[in-house]
Amino acid sequence: MGNGVTPGTCPVYQGQIYSNAGQSAVVNNVSSPLKTAPLPVPLSALKLGQEGFKKVCRTEEDSPCPFPGLASGVLEMRVKEGSKIRNLMGFAMARMQGEKGVSGGGLSDGGLRQVVFTGSGRAVTKTITCAEIMKRKVGCLHQLTKLRYKVVKEVWESTEGGNSEMTVHRTVPSISILLSKDPLDPQEPGYQPPETLSALWEEREGAEPASHTTCKRPLGPLPHSSFPNCKRVCLGEGVSVLPPH
Amino acid sequence: MSSSHTDSSSPAVEMDPVEYTLRKRLPRKLPKRRNDVYVNMKTDFRAQLARCQKLLEGGGHREICVHGLGLAINRAINIALQLQASSQGALQLAANTSTVELVDDLEPEDPDEAGEPMTRTRNNSAIHIKVFYPDPQ
Repeated sequence: MGNGVTPGTCPVYQGQIYSNAGQSAVVNNVSSPLKTAPLPVPLSALKLGQEGFKKVCRTEEDSPCPFPGLASGVLEMRVKEGSKIRNLMGFAMARMQGEKGVSGGGLSDGGLRQVVFTGSGRAVTKTITCAEIMKRKVGCLHQLTKLRYKVVKEVWESTEGGNSEMTVHRTVPSISILLSKDPLDPQEPGYQPPETLSALWEEREGAEPASHTTCKRPLGPLPHSSFPNCKRVCLGEGVSVLPPH
Repeated sequence: MSSSHTDSSSPAVEMDPVEYTLRKRLPRKLPKRRNDVYVNMKTDFRAQLARCQKLLEGGGHREICVHGLGLAINRAINIALQLQASSQGALQLAANTSTVELVDDLEPEDPDEAGEPMTRTRNNSAIHIKVFYPDPQ
């Protein structure tokens, strides 16, 4: 599992850079170099590294809890890039299932009622994977997913002797997933009731004219065995729906 | 779209890399409406962002659905957050996660040698982000 992450690192990073390019004014907010001559404003942190700067410090700015009204004792799993899923899950599952008399927030059946998985940047995928594994293992969990940008402050120092220092504010996408044994507010954006693989799609059907959703009908029950067949069906209906060019 | 990151590898089938070619099938087909955007890692990020913006602004859609699988989850989130940021708070996000079952084919490289074609299934995480203008109430 560990080595599976490595080939992905480069494209992910690209994604972040692209996102920075989208709002460069905000992102690369080089806040006053402390004691230096004016420096060329870098396009990205990657470039900084090439120009003889070294990252000396990285702090994540405190952001308010994405789930207001959550009890204070909730277990928060902070998923990092290098975290091992087996370690995270071993710990979290033990707490949720209340093994070995672990106490804290537990009600009748033992174990915690809620857990939050958070991760940012390249750890986002791993965070979702953890939540998905837990949903599958525990079952009957209500889920609330929140996305946002997290601001990370980086201090870069020149490697070429000078005592120049730069502070860069970067934004990285982050995800927070709340899993709860107790029901949550279904009106909240990002809410997902337990066991809803198919309902995820049913619920959205009303949003569009029925003609657009017809092609999914034959695909429902069989995931992949009938794949080529399904594709053809899908194409056929799609053509009939579309007006001629 | 493809990613090598699996969240639960099935009990490992012995595979000799010399004898088998690993072929990844396409993921299962999911609904493709006009407002569904499937994000991948091959297309330029800005092009995909622009496509979403076009749907929301020019296309007259009140909501679009941005999907990302595996590695593309990051990009899907990035696109959704960029859309929200550039709308000055007019847009809201509602994210759902799911697990997608993927199938790999193992084909024997040399048909003369002993070795059956095999398939393996694995799971990968996916995200579905609804980007929408909230209804005025």
